[in-house]
Amino acid sequence: MAETHHPIAPFGGFGLGLRRTHYDDFLGAQKVPVDFVEVISENYMVDGGRQLRILEEVRERYPVILHGVSMSIGTAGGLDTDYLAKLKALAERIEPLWVSDHLCWTRTSAHNSHDLLPLPLTTEALDAVCANITQAQDTLGRAMLFENPSSYLTFPEDEMAEWEFLSEMARRTGCHLLLDVNNIYVGSQNHGFSAQDYLAGLPLERVRQIHLAGHEPASKDRPVIIDTHDREVSDPVWALYSKAMRMIEQPVATMIERDENIPPLTDLLRELDRARDAAPAIEVV
Amino acid sequence: MTVAGTLAERQAAFMRAILDDDAPLPSGWGNSHALGLSVYRGNYRNALMSSLESSFERTGRYVGEELFRTARINHLIKNPPSHWTIDAAGAGFDQTCAELFTDNPEVAELAWLESAMLELASAPDCSALTPQDFAEASAGFGDAEWLGLSVKFQPRSKARLVGHDMTDLWKSLDEDGAPANLIAFAQEQGCVVWREGERPTFVMIDGDTARAFTAMQEGAHYGDLITLLAGDQPDDAAIAGAAQRAGGMLGVWLSEGMITALEA
Repeated sequence: MAETHHPIAPFGGFGLGLRRTHYDDFLGAQKVPVDFVEVISENYMVDGGRQLRILEEVRERYPVILHGVSMSIGTAGGLDTDYLAKLKALAERIEPLWVSDHLCWTRTSAHNSHDLLPLPLTTEALDAVCANITQAQDTLGRAMLFENPSSYLTFPEDEMAEWEFLSEMARRTGCHLLLDVNNIYVGSQNHGFSAQDYLAGLPLERVRQIHLAGHEPASKDRPVIIDTHDREVSDPVWALYSKAMRMIEQPVATMIERDENIPPLTDLLRELDRARDAAPAIEVV
Repeated sequence: MTVAGTLAERQAAFMRAILDDDAPLPSGWGNSHALGLSVYRGNYRNALMSSLESSFERTGRYVGEELFRTARINHLIKNPPSHWTIDAAGAGFDQTCAELFTDNPEVAELAWLESAMLELASAPDCSALTPQDFAEASAGFGDAEWLGLSVKFQPRSKARLVGHDMTDLWKSLDEDGAPANLIAFAQEQGCVVWREGERPTFVMIDGDTARAFTAMQEGAHYGDLITLLAGDQPDDAAIAGAAQRAGGMLGVWLSEGMITALEA
């Protein structure tokens, strides 16, 4: 393994994404019963102002994970160095548990889609991703986590399964994995692979975090499931989560991701309790 | 299966297909890919339309849902985003509004103001120079120091000339605001945007003060400001009057907390 950065120590616990509508809850007198919060990195990669000050205050109370959506680790033209510099500055300021992003691409040299676009599962793409991860980890001075994506198409040129791509990526770069269980389910339904094979094919010892989220079911007019993060986690995803938690031997950080139709915090905490109940007893680190 | 093109070429083709409904599908793609592509196209459009909607809430309320939607679509077609932050997608939206709402220039002015306020919200934090700080720093100034004085304004503060009173218009477009009469100025006035602590704010000022603000922000010295205000062929009285006006402007900028440093 070409590991040049310290591996990330396992951290066990249950957390939520920090969203603006819940700022007052997290800064209130009563501590919210979570072990960590995750924030969207780009929302705080700014020079100053209220948003950044609030994150610093939250950080004084809770461990924070930085989760990005714009690194574009699969872009063939290489990474945006301005982006990396701003992310590094934020990481140095917040001292997060870890920094993560997605196995996807979002931009070309000319345009940015602001969406997580799928990569062909080819040797060429794997080489590009590994080179970019090495650049990102070297710039940040730390190992990162990368999340398996949801996708709505596969490519005729694919040479390997997604889990094989992720395994080789982790082996070659020393990065860790953020396992999005909903994304595995969405992919298995959209592309017809076995979610069990997917889990079994991954180097699960590299997993440090798990995402749980809701999706929009397929319909007669649109026969694909869409990863929407706008509703509760579905029963098949809970079942897959239980299975994954029994296969993973080290402590991991589990969180509920909700980005649209954000309910009161109490609703999300109730859903997080379900994650606690579904997981085997783990030691909260 | 072998398909044509490198990864970079195929990503460029994918991006073109997202941005443009009429672009050809990347080679080797069939109906199932077209279905998947439609999801990505929808995500792209929804994310950007939502981002512009939240960045320009007041502009949207002012022009109404349908025209606002048209303006956002126009803007995104002409200015597909290239920056990593989605907030940058709103850059130049005031210009788009200026081109679309030619009979209503206040729309572009309002869009400019919303954009400037948004940019200030995440500007670097800084401490304002107080009038007392200024008095102490300039206590020993001679004529040369005064004429060569330049000031540093808060990062991302800015001024522009506008043809309409933004104050009432802005308040009326609060979510619970009462409708306001649009007041058009006989002569353009200035609108200066800056931050009080963490809160972006703005004030309407006279046009000369707005021009002076921009000139000083772009590096003019205090002496240049007096020359600018004195007119083309100034006599002693005009120069004295200009110096007094420049001093008044400096006083206002200091008392409002817009200045962060002096350079003599």
